[in-house]
Amino acid sequence: MLTTFLKRLGEGPLLFDGGMGSLLLAAGLEPGRVPEHWNVERPQLIKQIHLDYLAAGAEVITTNTFGGSPLKLAAHGVREQCEKFNFAAISQAMAARLESGRPDTFVAGDIGPCGRFFPPVGDLERQSLIDSVQAQVEMFAAAEVDLILIETMVDLQEAETAVRTVRSLTDIPVAATMTFDRKPRGYFTIMGNAPGDAAQRLADAGADVIGANCTLAAAEMVELAQTLVAVSPVPVLVQPNAGQPELVDGDIIYRVSPAAFAEEVRNILATGVAAVGGCCGTTPEHIRAVAELM
Amino acid sequence: MSNFFGECREAVRKGDREAAEALARRALAENTDPLDTIESGYVPGLREAGRLWDEGELFLPELVMAAEAMKAAAAILQPALSASGRQQKTHGRVVIGTIEGDIHDIGKTLVATILSANGYETHDLGADVPVQRFVDEAESVGADFICISALLTTTMAGQKRVIDLLKQRSVRDKYRVLVGGAPCNEKWAAQIGADGYAGDAISAVKLAASLVA
Repeated sequence: MLTTFLKRLGEGPLLFDGGMGSLLLAAGLEPGRVPEHWNVERPQLIKQIHLDYLAAGAEVITTNTFGGSPLKLAAHGVREQCEKFNFAAISQAMAARLESGRPDTFVAGDIGPCGRFFPPVGDLERQSLIDSVQAQVEMFAAAEVDLILIETMVDLQEAETAVRTVRSLTDIPVAATMTFDRKPRGYFTIMGNAPGDAAQRLADAGADVIGANCTLAAAEMVELAQTLVAVSPVPVLVQPNAGQPELVDGDIIYRVSPAAFAEEVRNILATGVAAVGGCCGTTPEHIRAVAELM
Repeated sequence: MSNFFGECREAVRKGDREAAEALARRALAENTDPLDTIESGYVPGLREAGRLWDEGELFLPELVMAAEAMKAAAAILQPALSASGRQQKTHGRVVIGTIEGDIHDIGKTLVATILSANGYETHDLGADVPVQRFVDEAESVGADFICISALLTTTMAGQKRVIDLLKQRSVRDKYRVLVGGAPCNEKWAAQIGADGYAGDAISAVKLAASLVA
Protein backbone atom coordinates (compact mmCIF):
# COMPACT_ATOMS: atom_id res chain seq x y z
CA MET A 1 0.00 0.00 0.00
CA LEU A 2 1.28 3.44 -0.89
CA THR A 3 1.81 5.81 1.99
CA THR A 4 0.36 9.28 1.68
CA PHE A 5 3.85 10.58 0.96
CA LEU A 6 4.54 8.17 -1.90
CA LYS A 7 1.07 8.77 -3.32
CA ARG A 8 1.71 12.52 -3.35
CA LEU A 9 5.14 11.95 -4.90
CA GLY A 10 3.49 10.14 -7.79
CA GLU A 11 1.17 13.06 -8.50
CA GLY A 12 3.74 15.57 -9.70
CA PRO A 13 6.81 17.53 -8.62
CA LEU A 14 7.09 17.96 -4.88
CA LEU A 15 8.82 20.85 -3.11
CA PHE A 16 11.10 20.19 -0.14
CA ASP A 17 12.33 22.91 2.21
CA GLY A 18 15.75 24.59 2.02
CA GLY A 19 18.76 24.97 4.28
CA MET A 20 18.57 24.81 8.07
CA GLY A 21 22.16 24.88 9.33
CA SER A 22 23.13 27.95 7.30
CA LEU A 23 20.07 29.80 8.69
CA LEU A 24 21.04 28.88 12.24
CA LEU A 25 24.58 30.15 11.66
CA ALA A 26 23.11 33.37 10.27
CA ALA A 27 20.98 33.62 13.43
CA GLY A 28 24.07 33.49 15.60
CA LEU A 29 24.77 29.79 16.18
CA GLU A 30 28.44 29.59 17.05
CA PRO A 31 30.19 27.72 14.21
CA GLY A 32 31.43 24.37 15.40
CA ARG A 33 28.69 24.11 17.98
CA VAL A 34 26.31 21.20 17.40
CA PRO A 35 23.22 22.82 15.72
CA GLU A 36 20.96 20.30 17.48
CA HIS A 37 21.58 22.18 20.75
CA TRP A 38 19.16 24.78 19.49
CA ASN A 39 16.34 22.23 19.32
CA VAL A 40 16.21 22.53 23.10
CA GLU A 41 17.68 26.01 23.60
CA ARG A 42 15.89 27.90 20.83
CA PRO A 43 12.85 25.71 20.00
CA GLN A 44 10.78 28.71 18.91
CA LEU A 45 13.35 29.65 16.29
CA ILE A 46 13.49 26.09 14.93
CA LYS A 47 9.70 25.98 14.71
CA GLN A 48 9.62 29.41 13.06
CA ILE A 49 12.04 28.27 10.35
CA HIS A 50 9.77 25.30 9.61
CA LEU A 51 6.74 27.65 9.58
CA ASP A 52 8.56 30.01 7.19
CA TYR A 53 9.31 27.15 4.81
CA LEU A 54 5.70 25.92 4.95
CA ALA A 55 4.44 29.46 4.34
CA ALA A 56 6.85 29.72 1.40
CA GLY A 57 5.20 26.70 -0.18
CA ALA A 58 7.35 23.76 0.88
CA GLU A 59 5.42 20.52 1.17
CA VAL A 60 8.17 18.70 3.05
CA ILE A 61 9.96 20.07 6.11
CA THR A 62 13.08 18.43 7.46
CA THR A 63 13.87 17.95 11.16
CA ASN A 64 16.97 19.66 12.54
CA THR A 65 18.70 16.34 13.17
CA PHE A 66 21.38 16.27 10.45
CA GLY A 67 24.11 15.88 13.05
CA GLY A 68 21.91 14.14 15.61
CA SER A 69 23.25 10.61 15.23
CA PRO A 70 24.94 9.05 18.24
CA LEU A 71 28.23 8.73 16.33
CA LYS A 72 28.26 12.37 15.28
CA LEU A 73 27.20 13.64 18.70
CA ALA A 74 29.84 11.44 20.34
CA ALA A 75 32.53 13.18 18.26
CA HIS A 76 31.42 16.41 19.92
CA GLY A 77 31.22 14.84 23.35
CA VAL A 78 27.42 15.15 23.65
CA ARG A 79 26.28 11.62 22.86
CA GLU A 80 24.07 11.60 25.96
CA GLN A 81 21.93 14.40 24.45
CA CYS A 82 20.88 12.24 21.50
CA GLU A 83 17.31 11.44 22.56
CA LYS A 84 16.65 14.95 23.82
CA PHE A 85 17.97 16.65 20.67
CA ASN A 86 16.12 14.37 18.26
CA PHE A 87 12.78 14.33 20.02
CA ALA A 88 12.87 18.11 20.46
CA ALA A 89 13.60 18.50 16.75
CA ILE A 90 10.75 16.21 15.72
CA SER A 91 8.35 18.04 18.07
CA GLN A 92 9.17 21.41 16.54
CA ALA A 93 8.62 20.15 13.00
CA MET A 94 5.32 18.48 13.94
CA ALA A 95 4.20 21.56 15.91
CA ALA A 96 5.00 23.80 12.95
CA ARG A 97 2.90 21.64 10.63
CA LEU A 98 0.01 21.74 13.09
CA GLU A 99 0.23 25.52 13.47
CA SER A 100 0.60 26.13 9.77
CA GLY A 101 -2.83 24.70 9.10
CA ARG A 102 -1.39 22.53 6.33
CA PRO A 103 -1.93 18.97 7.59
CA ASP A 104 -1.31 17.64 4.08
CA THR A 105 2.38 18.48 4.28
CA PHE A 106 5.12 16.06 5.29
CA VAL A 107 7.75 15.84 8.01
CA ALA A 108 11.06 14.22 7.03
CA GLY A 109 13.33 12.84 9.74
CA ASP A 110 16.83 13.88 8.74
CA ILE A 111 19.97 11.72 8.98
CA GLY A 112 23.35 13.16 7.92
CA PRO A 113 26.72 11.45 7.55
CA CYS A 114 28.03 9.88 10.75
CA GLY A 115 31.32 11.74 10.35
CA ARG A 116 33.44 8.61 10.43
CA PHE A 117 34.76 6.54 7.55
CA PHE A 118 35.10 2.88 6.69
CA PRO A 119 38.63 1.58 6.09
CA PRO A 120 40.95 2.44 4.43
CA VAL A 121 40.10 6.09 5.07
CA GLY A 122 38.98 5.55 8.66
CA ASP A 123 38.23 2.80 11.15
CA LEU A 124 34.41 2.84 11.18
CA GLU A 125 32.85 -0.56 11.82
CA ARG A 126 29.66 -1.52 10.07
CA GLN A 127 27.83 -2.46 13.27
CA SER A 128 28.51 0.86 14.97
CA LEU A 129 27.08 2.67 11.94
CA ILE A 130 24.00 0.42 11.99
CA ASP A 131 23.50 1.08 15.73
CA SER A 132 23.88 4.80 15.18
CA VAL A 133 21.34 4.93 12.34
CA GLN A 134 18.98 2.69 14.27
CA ALA A 135 18.92 5.05 17.26
CA GLN A 136 17.63 7.94 15.11
CA VAL A 137 15.26 5.78 13.04
CA GLU A 138 13.58 4.37 16.13
CA MET A 139 12.80 7.89 17.31
CA PHE A 140 11.51 8.92 13.88
CA ALA A 141 9.36 5.82 13.69
CA ALA A 142 7.97 6.32 17.19
CA ALA A 143 6.99 9.87 16.23
CA GLU A 144 5.54 8.64 12.90
CA VAL A 145 7.39 10.95 10.56
CA ASP A 146 6.25 10.70 6.94
CA LEU A 147 9.66 10.11 5.48
CA ILE A 148 13.25 9.49 6.48
CA LEU A 149 15.80 11.55 4.57
CA ILE A 150 19.37 10.24 4.50
CA GLU A 151 21.36 13.08 2.98
CA THR A 152 24.71 14.59 2.02
CA MET A 153 26.34 11.16 1.88
CA VAL A 154 29.86 10.97 0.41
CA ASP A 155 30.28 7.22 0.82
CA LEU A 156 27.86 4.92 -0.98
CA GLN A 157 28.67 2.15 1.48
CA GLU A 158 27.48 4.34 4.37
CA ALA A 159 24.37 5.48 2.47
CA GLU A 160 23.50 1.90 1.53
CA THR A 161 23.98 0.65 5.08
CA ALA A 162 21.79 3.48 6.38
CA VAL A 163 19.00 2.71 3.88
CA ARG A 164 19.10 -1.00 4.69
CA THR A 165 18.99 -0.21 8.39
CA VAL A 166 15.88 1.94 7.92
CA ARG A 167 14.28 -0.79 5.79
CA SER A 168 14.94 -3.42 8.45
CA LEU A 169 13.18 -1.35 11.11
CA THR A 170 10.18 0.37 9.55
CA ASP A 171 8.02 0.76 6.45
CA ILE A 172 8.35 4.55 6.48
CA PRO A 173 9.47 5.73 3.03
CA VAL A 174 13.18 6.51 2.79
CA ALA A 175 14.98 8.96 0.52
CA ALA A 176 18.76 8.91 0.18
CA THR A 177 20.77 11.68 -1.42
CA MET A 178 24.50 11.90 -1.97
CA THR A 179 26.77 14.84 -2.55
CA PHE A 180 28.61 14.79 -5.87
CA ASP A 181 31.29 17.04 -7.22
CA ARG A 182 32.07 17.65 -10.87
CA LYS A 183 35.31 16.01 -11.97
CA PRO A 184 36.92 15.86 -15.42
CA ARG A 185 35.40 12.40 -15.98
CA GLY A 186 31.94 13.35 -14.68
CA TYR A 187 30.16 13.55 -11.34
CA PHE A 188 31.62 11.65 -8.39
CA THR A 189 31.51 11.71 -4.61
CA ILE A 190 34.82 12.25 -2.85
CA MET A 191 34.91 8.47 -2.37
CA GLY A 192 34.61 7.95 -6.11
CA ASN A 193 30.96 6.86 -6.30
CA ALA A 194 29.28 7.75 -9.61
CA PRO A 195 25.59 8.75 -9.87
CA GLY A 196 24.61 5.59 -11.79
CA ASP A 197 26.02 3.21 -9.19
CA ALA A 198 24.57 5.29 -6.40
CA ALA A 199 21.06 5.32 -7.87
CA GLN A 200 21.04 1.59 -8.57
CA ARG A 201 22.53 0.43 -5.29
CA LEU A 202 20.43 2.75 -3.12
CA ALA A 203 17.27 1.65 -4.90
CA ASP A 204 18.32 -1.99 -4.47
CA ALA A 205 18.87 -1.32 -0.77
CA GLY A 206 15.25 -0.19 -0.57
CA ALA A 207 15.32 3.59 -1.08
CA ASP A 208 12.00 4.95 -2.36
CA VAL A 209 13.69 8.12 -3.58
CA ILE A 210 17.33 8.78 -4.48
CA GLY A 211 19.10 11.96 -5.38
CA ALA A 212 21.76 14.59 -4.93
CA ASN A 213 22.23 17.51 -2.57
CA CYS A 214 24.77 20.03 -1.34
CA THR A 215 28.25 20.91 -2.71
CA LEU A 216 27.01 22.09 -6.12
CA ALA A 217 24.97 25.13 -7.06
CA ALA A 218 21.73 24.63 -8.98
CA ALA A 219 23.30 25.52 -12.36
CA GLU A 220 25.92 22.78 -11.89
CA MET A 221 23.28 20.23 -10.97
CA VAL A 222 21.17 20.30 -14.14
CA GLU A 223 23.34 17.75 -15.94
CA LEU A 224 23.60 15.65 -12.78
CA ALA A 225 19.80 15.64 -12.49
CA GLN A 226 19.57 14.46 -16.11
CA THR A 227 21.97 11.62 -15.40
CA LEU A 228 20.14 10.56 -12.26
CA VAL A 229 16.71 10.64 -13.93
CA ALA A 230 18.05 8.58 -16.83
CA VAL A 231 19.49 5.81 -14.67
CA SER A 232 17.43 5.76 -11.49
CA PRO A 233 14.85 3.02 -11.00
CA VAL A 234 13.08 5.25 -8.43
CA PRO A 235 12.03 8.94 -8.27
CA VAL A 236 14.81 11.54 -7.99
CA LEU A 237 15.20 14.38 -5.46
CA VAL A 238 17.65 17.24 -6.07
CA GLN A 239 18.59 19.86 -3.43
CA PRO A 240 21.29 22.30 -4.58
CA ASN A 241 23.14 24.98 -2.62
CA ALA A 242 22.66 28.69 -3.22
CA GLY A 243 26.16 28.81 -4.71
CA GLN A 244 29.39 28.35 -2.79
CA PRO A 245 29.91 29.77 0.70
CA GLU A 246 32.15 32.83 0.85
CA LEU A 247 33.62 34.50 3.89
CA VAL A 248 33.01 38.25 3.79
CA ASP A 249 34.02 40.31 6.81
CA GLY A 250 33.63 37.33 9.09
CA ASP A 251 30.20 36.36 7.76
CA ILE A 252 29.51 33.35 5.59
CA ILE A 253 27.43 34.36 2.60
CA TYR A 254 25.88 32.58 -0.37
CA ARG A 255 25.50 34.74 -3.45
CA VAL A 256 22.80 33.03 -5.54
CA SER A 257 19.61 35.06 -5.19
CA PRO A 258 16.16 33.47 -4.82
CA ALA A 259 15.23 34.48 -8.38
CA ALA A 260 18.45 33.11 -9.89
CA PHE A 261 18.09 29.91 -7.83
CA ALA A 262 14.52 29.43 -9.07
CA GLU A 263 15.62 29.94 -12.70
CA GLU A 264 18.14 27.11 -12.39
CA VAL A 265 15.71 24.88 -10.50
CA ARG A 266 13.32 25.34 -13.42
CA ASN A 267 15.94 23.61 -15.60
CA ILE A 268 16.35 20.87 -13.02
CA LEU A 269 12.59 20.30 -12.95
CA ALA A 270 12.61 20.03 -16.74
CA THR A 271 14.86 16.95 -16.48
CA GLY A 272 11.99 15.05 -14.89
CA VAL A 273 13.03 14.93 -11.26
CA ALA A 274 10.23 14.07 -8.83
CA ALA A 275 11.19 16.55 -6.13
CA VAL A 276 13.38 19.59 -5.56
CA GLY A 277 14.40 21.64 -2.56
CA GLY A 278 17.40 23.56 -1.31
CA CYS A 279 20.51 22.91 0.72
CA CYS A 280 23.14 25.23 2.22
CA GLY A 281 22.49 28.93 1.78
CA THR A 282 18.93 28.51 0.59
CA THR A 283 16.23 30.30 2.59
CA PRO A 284 12.43 30.40 2.69
CA GLU A 285 12.70 33.13 0.02
CA HIS A 286 14.55 30.72 -2.31
CA ILE A 287 11.86 28.10 -1.73
CA ARG A 288 9.09 30.69 -2.28
CA ALA A 289 10.66 31.64 -5.63
CA VAL A 290 10.67 27.97 -6.65
CA ALA A 291 7.09 27.46 -5.40
CA GLU A 292 5.93 30.33 -7.57
CA LEU A 293 7.26 28.77 -10.74
CA MET A 294 5.92 25.32 -9.86
CA MET B 1 66.74 -2.73 -11.91
CA SER B 2 64.46 -0.18 -13.52
CA ASN B 3 61.96 -2.96 -13.97
CA PHE B 4 62.06 -3.74 -10.25
CA PHE B 5 61.55 -0.08 -9.39
CA GLY B 6 58.72 -0.03 -11.91
CA GLU B 7 57.02 -2.83 -9.99
CA CYS B 8 57.45 -0.88 -6.74
CA ARG B 9 55.99 2.20 -8.37
CA GLU B 10 53.03 0.27 -9.71
CA ALA B 11 52.33 -1.45 -6.38
CA VAL B 12 52.06 1.91 -4.60
CA ARG B 13 50.10 3.60 -7.36
CA LYS B 14 47.57 0.78 -7.23
CA GLY B 15 47.47 0.93 -3.44
CA ASP B 16 48.48 -2.75 -3.29
CA ARG B 17 50.01 -2.96 0.16
CA GLU B 18 50.81 -6.66 0.03
CA ALA B 19 52.67 -6.31 -3.25
CA ALA B 20 54.55 -3.25 -1.99
CA GLU B 21 55.60 -5.14 1.15
CA ALA B 22 56.65 -8.23 -0.82
CA LEU B 23 58.79 -6.05 -3.08
CA ALA B 24 60.42 -4.42 -0.03
CA ARG B 25 61.33 -7.86 1.33
CA ARG B 26 62.68 -8.82 -2.08
CA ALA B 27 64.81 -5.65 -2.10
CA LEU B 28 66.29 -6.70 1.25
CA ALA B 29 66.89 -10.29 0.11
CA GLU B 30 68.57 -9.16 -3.10
CA ASN B 31 70.58 -6.40 -1.42
CA THR B 32 68.96 -3.70 -3.50
CA ASP B 33 69.77 -0.32 -2.03
CA PRO B 34 66.87 0.58 0.30
CA LEU B 35 67.13 4.30 -0.40
CA ASP B 36 67.07 3.77 -4.18
CA THR B 37 64.08 1.47 -3.75
CA ILE B 38 62.19 4.17 -1.88
CA GLU B 39 63.23 7.13 -4.02
CA SER B 40 63.08 5.48 -7.44
CA GLY B 41 60.27 3.03 -6.69
CA TYR B 42 57.77 3.88 -4.03
CA VAL B 43 57.93 7.68 -4.01
CA PRO B 44 57.25 8.09 -7.76
CA GLY B 45 54.33 5.66 -7.31
CA LEU B 46 52.75 7.83 -4.65
CA ARG B 47 53.45 10.97 -6.70
CA GLU B 48 51.67 9.35 -9.63
CA ALA B 49 48.68 8.52 -7.39
CA GLY B 50 48.62 12.17 -6.28
CA ARG B 51 48.64 13.35 -9.88
CA LEU B 52 45.79 10.98 -10.77
CA TRP B 53 43.84 12.19 -7.76
CA ASP B 54 44.32 15.79 -8.87
CA GLU B 55 43.01 14.87 -12.31
CA GLY B 56 39.93 13.22 -10.85
CA GLU B 57 41.03 9.73 -11.89
CA LEU B 58 41.56 8.46 -8.35
CA PHE B 59 39.50 9.11 -5.23
CA LEU B 60 40.11 9.37 -1.52
CA PRO B 61 40.16 5.64 -0.67
CA GLU B 62 42.62 4.84 -3.48
CA LEU B 63 44.86 7.73 -2.48
CA VAL B 64 44.85 6.64 1.15
CA MET B 65 45.63 3.06 0.13
CA ALA B 66 48.56 4.24 -2.01
CA ALA B 67 49.96 6.20 0.95
CA GLU B 68 49.48 3.19 3.25
CA ALA B 69 51.20 0.85 0.79
CA MET B 70 54.19 3.17 0.69
CA LYS B 71 54.27 3.55 4.45
CA ALA B 72 54.18 -0.22 4.97
CA ALA B 73 56.95 -0.85 2.45
CA ALA B 74 59.12 1.94 3.88
CA ALA B 75 58.73 0.45 7.37
CA ILE B 76 60.19 -2.83 6.13
CA LEU B 77 63.15 -1.03 4.54
CA GLN B 78 63.74 1.27 7.51
CA PRO B 79 66.21 -0.90 9.50
CA ALA B 80 68.36 -1.47 6.42
CA LEU B 81 68.12 2.20 5.54
CA SER B 82 69.30 3.23 9.01
CA ALA B 83 72.15 0.69 8.85
CA SER B 84 73.27 2.07 5.49
CA GLY B 85 73.78 5.46 7.07
CA ARG B 86 72.07 7.12 4.11
CA GLN B 87 68.98 9.20 4.52
CA GLN B 88 65.95 9.72 2.40
CA LYS B 89 66.08 13.07 0.62
CA THR B 90 63.27 15.24 1.82
CA HIS B 91 62.16 18.71 0.89
CA GLY B 92 61.25 19.26 4.49
CA ARG B 93 59.64 17.87 7.56
CA VAL B 94 55.97 18.73 8.06
CA VAL B 95 53.85 18.65 11.17
CA ILE B 96 50.20 18.81 10.10
CA GLY B 97 46.83 18.63 11.81
CA THR B 98 43.33 20.06 12.18
CA ILE B 99 43.13 22.55 15.02
CA GLU B 100 41.42 21.86 18.35
CA GLY B 101 37.64 22.02 18.44
CA ASP B 102 37.50 21.01 14.79
CA ILE B 103 36.87 17.41 13.83
CA HIS B 104 37.14 17.83 10.03
CA ASP B 105 39.72 15.37 8.82
CA ILE B 106 39.44 14.83 5.07
CA GLY B 107 41.03 18.01 3.67
CA LYS B 108 43.95 17.81 6.05
CA THR B 109 44.51 14.11 5.25
CA LEU B 110 44.57 14.90 1.54
CA VAL B 111 47.12 17.67 2.03
CA ALA B 112 49.30 15.39 4.19
CA THR B 113 49.15 12.58 1.62
CA ILE B 114 49.92 14.81 -1.34
CA LEU B 115 52.79 16.48 0.55
CA SER B 116 54.34 13.12 1.37
CA ALA B 117 53.86 12.05 -2.25
CA ASN B 118 55.95 15.06 -3.20
CA GLY B 119 58.88 14.29 -0.97
CA TYR B 120 57.96 15.84 2.35
CA GLU B 121 58.26 13.87 5.56
CA THR B 122 54.85 14.34 7.13
CA HIS B 123 53.77 13.88 10.71
CA ASP B 124 49.98 13.85 10.68
CA LEU B 125 48.61 14.63 14.14
CA GLY B 126 45.00 14.01 13.12
CA ALA B 127 42.03 16.26 13.93
CA ASP B 128 41.09 18.21 17.07
CA VAL B 129 44.78 18.82 17.86
CA PRO B 130 45.54 21.08 20.86
CA VAL B 131 47.49 24.26 20.08
CA GLN B 132 50.37 23.22 22.29
CA ARG B 133 50.72 19.86 20.58
CA PHE B 134 51.50 21.48 17.21
CA VAL B 135 54.39 23.32 18.82
CA ASP B 136 55.61 20.38 20.91
CA GLU B 137 55.60 18.00 17.94
CA ALA B 138 57.28 20.51 15.65
CA GLU B 139 60.02 20.97 18.24
CA SER B 140 60.42 17.26 18.87
CA VAL B 141 60.67 16.14 15.22
CA GLY B 142 62.61 19.20 14.08
CA ALA B 143 59.93 20.28 11.63
CA ASP B 144 60.42 22.78 8.84
CA PHE B 145 56.71 23.34 8.31
CA ILE B 146 53.67 23.50 10.55
CA CYS B 147 50.43 23.10 8.59
CA ILE B 148 47.22 23.94 10.41
CA SER B 149 43.78 23.18 9.03
CA ALA B 150 40.61 24.88 10.28
CA LEU B 151 37.18 24.40 8.72
CA LEU B 152 35.20 26.69 10.98
CA THR B 153 35.24 30.42 11.51
CA THR B 154 35.52 29.87 15.26
CA THR B 155 38.29 27.31 15.18
CA MET B 156 40.41 29.33 12.76
CA ALA B 157 41.34 31.53 15.72
CA GLY B 158 43.28 28.48 16.93
CA GLN B 159 45.64 28.90 13.96
CA LYS B 160 46.59 32.27 15.36
CA ARG B 161 47.08 30.79 18.82
CA VAL B 162 49.63 28.30 17.43
CA ILE B 163 51.59 31.19 15.93
CA ASP B 164 51.30 33.19 19.15
CA LEU B 165 52.61 30.25 21.14
CA LEU B 166 55.56 29.86 18.75
CA LYS B 167 56.38 33.53 19.31
CA GLN B 168 55.96 33.21 23.04
CA ARG B 169 58.47 30.36 23.06
CA SER B 170 60.77 32.37 20.78
CA VAL B 171 60.78 29.66 18.11
CA ARG B 172 58.56 31.32 15.48
CA ASP B 173 61.47 31.81 13.04
CA LYS B 174 62.35 28.10 13.04
CA TYR B 175 59.16 27.19 11.15
CA ARG B 176 57.17 28.10 8.13
CA VAL B 177 53.53 28.07 9.15
CA LEU B 178 50.91 27.31 6.50
CA VAL B 179 47.16 27.54 7.03
CA GLY B 180 44.25 26.05 5.10
CA GLY B 181 40.56 25.19 5.30
CA ALA B 182 37.31 26.57 3.92
CA PRO B 183 37.07 29.86 5.86
CA CYS B 184 40.75 30.81 5.49
CA ASN B 185 42.33 32.94 2.78
CA GLU B 186 45.56 34.85 2.05
CA LYS B 187 44.32 37.86 3.96
CA TRP B 188 43.72 35.78 7.07
CA ALA B 189 47.15 34.17 6.76
CA ALA B 190 48.78 37.61 6.58
CA GLN B 191 46.66 38.93 9.42
CA ILE B 192 47.73 36.21 11.87
CA GLY B 193 51.36 36.21 10.73
CA ALA B 194 51.36 32.85 8.92
CA ASP B 195 53.77 32.27 6.04
CA GLY B 196 51.08 31.30 3.59
CA TYR B 197 47.66 29.95 2.75
CA ALA B 198 46.76 27.07 0.44
CA GLY B 199 43.23 26.35 -0.78
CA ASP B 200 43.82 22.73 -1.73
CA ALA B 201 46.42 19.96 -1.59
CA ILE B 202 48.12 20.79 -4.89
CA SER B 203 48.49 24.46 -4.00
CA ALA B 204 49.88 23.40 -0.62
CA VAL B 205 52.70 21.55 -2.42
CA LYS B 206 53.40 24.57 -4.65
CA LEU B 207 53.34 26.89 -1.65
CA ALA B 208 55.69 24.69 0.37
CA ALA B 209 58.06 24.42 -2.60
CA SER B 210 58.08 28.19 -3.06
CA LEU B 211 59.02 28.61 0.59
CA VAL B 212 61.95 26.18 0.50
CA ALA B 213 63.30 27.49 -2.80
